[in-house]
Amino acid sequence: MTLLSVQDLSIRFRTPDGYVHAVNNVSFDIEEGEKLAVVGESGSGKSQIALAILGLLANNAEASGRILYKGQNLLDLPRREMNKIRAKEISIIFQDPMSSLNPYMTVERQLNEILELHEGLRGRAARSRVLEVMEAVQIPDAKNRLKSYPHEFSGGMRQRIVIAMALLCRPKLILADEPTTALDVTVQAQIMHLLEDIQKEYGSSIMLITHDLGVVAGFCNETLVLYGGRVMERAGTAAIFAAPAHPYTRGLMRAVPNIHDPSATLQSIPGQPPNQTRPLVHCPFAGRCGDSLEACFDILPELSPAPHQRACIRAVEELT
Amino acid sequence: MLNYTLRRLMAVIPTILILIVFCFFLMRLAPGGPFTSERPLPPAVMKNVLERYGLDEPLYVQLWTYLKNIILHFDFGPSFSQKDRTVNDLIAQGFPVTLTYGFFSALFVLALGVPLGVIAALRHNSFWDYVMTGLAIFSQIFPNFVLAPIMVLLFTLSWGLLPGGGWNGGQWPYVIMPAVALGTSYMASVARLTRGSLLETLSAGYIRTARAKGLPERTVLIRHALKPALLPVISYMGPVFVYMITGSVFIDIFFSTGGIGQNFIDAAYTRDYAVILGLAILYSVLTFALLLIVDLIYAWIDPKIRSGL
Ligand SMILES: Nc1ncnc2c1ncn2[C@@H]1O[C@H](COP(=O)(O)OP(=O)(O)O)[C@@H](O)[C@H]1O
Ligand SMILES: [Mg+2]
Repeated sequence: MTLLSVQDLSIRFRTPDGYVHAVNNVSFDIEEGEKLAVVGESGSGKSQIALAILGLLANNAEASGRILYKGQNLLDLPRREMNKIRAKEISIIFQDPMSSLNPYMTVERQLNEILELHEGLRGRAARSRVLEVMEAVQIPDAKNRLKSYPHEFSGGMRQRIVIAMALLCRPKLILADEPTTALDVTVQAQIMHLLEDIQKEYGSSIMLITHDLGVVAGFCNETLVLYGGRVMERAGTAAIFAAPAHPYTRGLMRAVPNIHDPSATLQSIPGQPPNQTRPLVHCPFAGRCGDSLEACFDILPELSPAPHQRACIRAVEELT
Repeated sequence: MLNYTLRRLMAVIPTILILIVFCFFLMRLAPGGPFTSERPLPPAVMKNVLERYGLDEPLYVQLWTYLKNIILHFDFGPSFSQKDRTVNDLIAQGFPVTLTYGFFSALFVLALGVPLGVIAALRHNSFWDYVMTGLAIFSQIFPNFVLAPIMVLLFTLSWGLLPGGGWNGGQWPYVIMPAVALGTSYMASVARLTRGSLLETLSAGYIRTARAKGLPERTVLIRHALKPALLPVISYMGPVFVYMITGSVFIDIFFSTGGIGQNFIDAAYTRDYAVILGLAILYSVLTFALLLIVDLIYAWIDPKIRSGL
């Protein structure tokens, strides 16, 4: 069953220097229980897609296309209706746990206002649910830390609190926007394990946004590769790792450290990120692509049909 | 927190003592005295007067007597220029006046400035934002000594709505114009301060989190944004409030309200040491008290500061 369907989504920002085209005609579905990775360099439009789903785009943003959830287009939903979906059906984990919690409010208050709003829970009932979730995300001594403020927790613990917040109402879909990027490496692994356990237990779908293919490999069953606000490739994670079918994905792979062969050199993709001030007329990656032909600068390739979708005019066999 | 408050109060006492000593000597250093005049008094009369006010004693004895009377009897001594009146009398007469219109002025500043700033921030870059900014600039370029005459011209002389001066025991028609004239430019500053600070707060990550929870915008604003956004306003209002309740010399003279601003001017003209010193002490005590209150409000709002106390 398809849970969420993003169709032809484009997002542009009005700026004093004209429009910035951050997301260009992106389409993808998320199935129930699916773990979808959205991968791409920073600036490729990943966060904006997540924000668009929850109607949290900045004021200067204009979004077009459709985001279908339970038969309604989330892009047209009035705030009042959207508020019923936020946190209750679709929740989000932001990248930076240092700034995403309110420093002036106790952790308990920040959690139980969600329960109060969506479940009508107060007092003891709310507290026991809050404790349950705080224990699920493995915050030690949760009972005695309810009245603590965010600054009294470490970065890793704060991110656990943010995750707890995202779980409170057992949402259908969790958008995790680089949940471990701001944390140090050992904590990153712990948080990823935690997310994995929780996903198993709650059965929610997860859209995991990351710029790190290494994180994706162990966690997600589907992978979507984004570049310049456009989908480059989409397939099962195993298929993508076994046979990356887009030059950009291949480039990303070469930039991931290889655990089996640590001596192998890491290659970053040469060149500049694409210019987003004009609408796309050709493949955004053409300028940095080692396999590009002249035609790549004229044609904007469409995504090929499932199961292994790719947007490239060159045949897989021809790629280096 | 109680501990912190007590600690702060303990620290204030020596500061105030030092301040008194400093003002005491500063005053004596200035040339002239309360009883120097164009036509010198006969030496015998002069001697008599000086003796009566203790001014013939060595300075350190004068200082000691002065401090002793304040600490033991809360007595700031007799006025040098107004016969048979003490400094305590004068302050007891003038301070309630300035306290009243100053308090209402501060109330006016906050009750109008904060909502205007909030509206401008919420509607920022829209018509209402520009109207607000225009008003703010407009009232900021009208200092109270320009605004007060204009108000009297309109409300008293043209429309006869409000009395143009006097105090009359502090009945409200007499309080309005002094309070508004004194407060308008501060009100504009508070509105601009609120606008800027709220705009900044609204772009914070935790506000986005609050929206992602599904809270209505009103709750996001009141529960999550307002407290932190008002912090700069609170620290701005501390000293402004002291200034307001200790009275403006201009307001007291222009509206003949009879507050301590008037006393200050009289005392300065007549070199009435005792009154000037008494007012300076009142001013500094109030300043310390307000700064402490501002810090306590900060600590109440910001748990990071509270845990550091
Ligand atoms: N409010 C905004 N105004 C203008 N440009 C923006 C705004 N927000 C995001 N962008 C642009 O959108 C592009 C995509 O951003 P984002 O989705 O955050 O990237 P990432 O893939 O790193 O999450 C970036 O080029 C960014 O500069
Ligand atoms: Mg991002």
